[in-house]
Amino acid sequence: MALERNTLLILAALAALFPLVVNDLYLLHIGIMVLFYCVLASSLNLTLGYVGEFSLGHTAFLGLGAYTAAILSTSFGLPLWLTVPLAGAVAALFGLLIGAITLRLQGPYFVIITLAFAEVLRIVANNWVGVTNGPMGIAGIPQPDLLAAGSTLLAKRVYFYIALAIAALALYLSYRFVYSSAGRAAVTVRENRYVAQSVGIRPFAHALRSFVLGAFLAGLAGGFYAHYISFVGVDVFRFSFMATMIIMVLIGGKGTLLGPLVGALVVTLAEEYLREFQELRLSIFGLVVMLVVLFLPKGLMGFLTLRRERRVATTVPPLPRLSKGGAA
Amino acid sequence: MDLFLQFLANGLVTGSFYALSALGLTLIFGLMRVVNFAHGEFYMLGGVLGWFVTARLGLDFFSGLLVVAAVMAAFGWMVDRFLIERVRGQGEEPGILLTIGLSIFLANSALLLAGTAPLKIDGPLSNAPVFLGPVVLTKMRIFAVAVCAALILAAHLLIKKTKLGRAMRATFQDPMAAQLAGIKTAHVYASTFALGAVLAASAGMLLGSIYSAQVAVGGVVSLKAFVVVILGGMGSFAGAIVGGLVLGVAEAMWGGYVSTGMVDIIGFVIVILTLIFKPYGLFSARAERA
Amino acid sequence: MRALRCAQVIAISVLGTAPMLALAAETVKIGVIQPLTGSVAYNGKADVNGAKLAMERRNAKGGVLGRPVELVIEDGQCSPANSVNAAEKLIQKDKVAVLSGAFCSSATAAVMPVAEKYKLPFLTGVSSKADLTEKGNAYFFRSAETDALLANAFAKILADNLKLKKVAYIGVNDDWGRGGVEEFSKDLGARGVENVLTEYFDHGTTDFYTLLAKLRTSGADGVFVAAETQDGAVLVKQFKEFGIDMKVFGVGSWATSDFVNLVGEASEGIYAAVPYVASLPGEANTDFVKTYQAQYGQAPDKYAAAGYNATNILMDAIERAGSTDAASIRDALKATDYQAPNGRYRFTANGQAYGFNAALVQIEGKQPKVVEMTEVQPPSTLTAQGK
Repeated sequence: MALERNTLLILAALAALFPLVVNDLYLLHIGIMVLFYCVLASSLNLTLGYVGEFSLGHTAFLGLGAYTAAILSTSFGLPLWLTVPLAGAVAALFGLLIGAITLRLQGPYFVIITLAFAEVLRIVANNWVGVTNGPMGIAGIPQPDLLAAGSTLLAKRVYFYIALAIAALALYLSYRFVYSSAGRAAVTVRENRYVAQSVGIRPFAHALRSFVLGAFLAGLAGGFYAHYISFVGVDVFRFSFMATMIIMVLIGGKGTLLGPLVGALVVTLAEEYLREFQELRLSIFGLVVMLVVLFLPKGLMGFLTLRRERRVATTVPPLPRLSKGGAA
Repeated sequence: MDLFLQFLANGLVTGSFYALSALGLTLIFGLMRVVNFAHGEFYMLGGVLGWFVTARLGLDFFSGLLVVAAVMAAFGWMVDRFLIERVRGQGEEPGILLTIGLSIFLANSALLLAGTAPLKIDGPLSNAPVFLGPVVLTKMRIFAVAVCAALILAAHLLIKKTKLGRAMRATFQDPMAAQLAGIKTAHVYASTFALGAVLAASAGMLLGSIYSAQVAVGGVVSLKAFVVVILGGMGSFAGAIVGGLVLGVAEAMWGGYVSTGMVDIIGFVIVILTLIFKPYGLFSARAERA
Repeated sequence: MRALRCAQVIAISVLGTAPMLALAAETVKIGVIQPLTGSVAYNGKADVNGAKLAMERRNAKGGVLGRPVELVIEDGQCSPANSVNAAEKLIQKDKVAVLSGAFCSSATAAVMPVAEKYKLPFLTGVSSKADLTEKGNAYFFRSAETDALLANAFAKILADNLKLKKVAYIGVNDDWGRGGVEEFSKDLGARGVENVLTEYFDHGTTDFYTLLAKLRTSGADGVFVAAETQDGAVLVKQFKEFGIDMKVFGVGSWATSDFVNLVGEASEGIYAAVPYVASLPGEANTDFVKTYQAQYGQAPDKYAAAGYNATNILMDAIERAGSTDAASIRDALKATDYQAPNGRYRFTANGQAYGFNAALVQIEGKQPKVVEMTEVQPPSTLTAQGK
């Protein structure tokens, strides 16, 4: 617990210094995307890592957040600091509705029903031209006013800090949730559902709580995305976002707080570097996923924790010697 | 009335295709509790290999089908022995992630090798229209439905009448007891996976000759197959058939009377409703075990 | 302290992998964003092929400004987010002089503000959504037809030559398909042709029988289809399977050899309204087709021509600008007068190209025969006509 908290604080401090030190717009852009994915991966991790249920519909909340922010800012003219929290709220509301239905199921059924919900939302978004502008998408989402006047470097820096704030909020909320009794109850449900019930923990309620929190965070990320990319189309519901999130949580290590962060970093950087092998990029991705599942099932953070535990275990303290007089 | 009959005919034809595509998945799902996300890619590989053997190697349709079936059986066997075997005891999640990774790898590698253009497979019959009263079909479609039925029957006989089939059913009921009875469950699992792959690939080649074989088709096929399997119940043959037909007809009716633009939504609504009201499908008799 | 060490490791690995300084550029770089993977990868690759051909021919003649031209190609996947990522990388890391892309109108719309922000000229050879050039983006140009212009160019020909009274409209359910259907329906409607059916299908649909059943009972004597090669080929094949006997005309990458091969005999008599086809007359085109065929083994289609033209226009503008300064290139682009295999390209004040040819072809004996050719008018004449 202390390790995670301290690492997070140090990384936060480093991240806060990053834009002041770096002038390259492209690097700042990468940094923003890393923070964005960090929020998404953390939100997925809450259900996947801590409750142990695999949701393939998480893009639904990303998309809902993005469209909410897009519609609120283009049709109603609300500013960024209002649209993003509202996006999170709308996503959380849908999380409540969808979770109430889907969390009654487990295992592969849960997987498929969450996927079905995400697909339904995608098809609706693609066809409800009146609200979402259908396949044409919502373009020209306004930037915050104070950025319009400044330089692009300033704008990038401001966006970085906004993303950092959202990421910090996400990790803070996750941290508080995980180390609360609600979080521990969720872990109990993950480890053994029936035993949890036998000690009075209601799996459904706890799973729902973590699901809604995950939905809220994904919605925040979606709202940010809408303003940063300034265009929201049906592709936010695409499975490729889901696959990326899964890969990040998996590689980083599910069920840990640092895992999604590490995963987001590693995968985003890898994607940019794999651009060199453009066409092979996705094949390599698939291969990496398979290798991680086979050989590094707990992800990088899990691997590090395992090594640490192993090292502690091998340094056995020497047995106390018995002296002639009988004293230890 | 004419229109209704046409829609019904369309639905039954596409429904039998769905049923064949989903059969392999329901076997793998039901027996091994593995959610095989690469199912669509097996279908796609069947189509691409089918094009390769007919267009490049010059075989006729039936010999080509046999070759494709043999290749995909071996491929399915190896996937199970070298990949799925390793994560078998660890719950459902690793299997899901593994097959997602496999599907991404297969889809993109096929893209590199076969290219992006749709591929044409020459079927054994023509595509000329056949008029059954007010309803229009083609010879090739009728043939395809017949082949579907034949393949389904063959798979059914395999499971009910052969030794391997008995071993599969025993492992399905209780893996521990099956092992105690001397059944090599590892082989049974690999064979089941191979069988599932063969069914998917045959469907891919068959349907590739009616429409066209495309590399990007895997995702859609997987989703539709999942819908059928959920509707019919995991591991149930009859369920896959009925589920496929129901989905086909429902889509045809919705597309015909409401709008063709939102046809895909029907499948997902069916899944959601099924999972809420009858989670184990229409035909499954399994109860949940602690 | 373990936490510090943990953080150190993570931070160092990030900084240590920061991109190296770009080596001094000798070449003139053109950034290209096209879908190389995904459902329209087929067409994206054709576009890139055309672009590469243009670049190689130019380099054989000495390049631009005395330096060789280099195409830096990124995969936008037709997705706005990925295309923006690609644009950021091309502009910041590769320091390209101009941008070309991004194929799908939605992806292009997302990249436009990025180009404007960095003040870099951005040319699209494919995106056809009409309002892209209406957004007042001073750095954006389009060397392609819009759905509106194409509809306007062909409505008269279609209504008169094909003598259609009732038309059914079928389109793929995305922004391009919807745009095409709406524009053609509007223009043909203005000439007294009745719209009896409008239906959309999802990209990747393989079975159109339900749609065809509706079509048969609609009483149309012609059907308009907005679909690309993959969907269009399956649809046309099924027309004939279904026994439908209407006149078919389509927009999209029809009339290419791939399309005809896939469709087989059912392609006889199909009309296509295309801004480019390999059988266009003229020496420039024959030369282009021959070189393309020699290099890639098949005749160029509409997207290959689009890539070829867009790249040539950009290289030409850089040459006339005399430097890689963005503002000069933009001004040079405005003054473009480029002779392409399919006509003469000039730009309006909004950056919309006009003056090039579009053709109505009919497929006879598996070859596209040009039935009529017309010039694409600039949008201002449309407004003058009260559209």
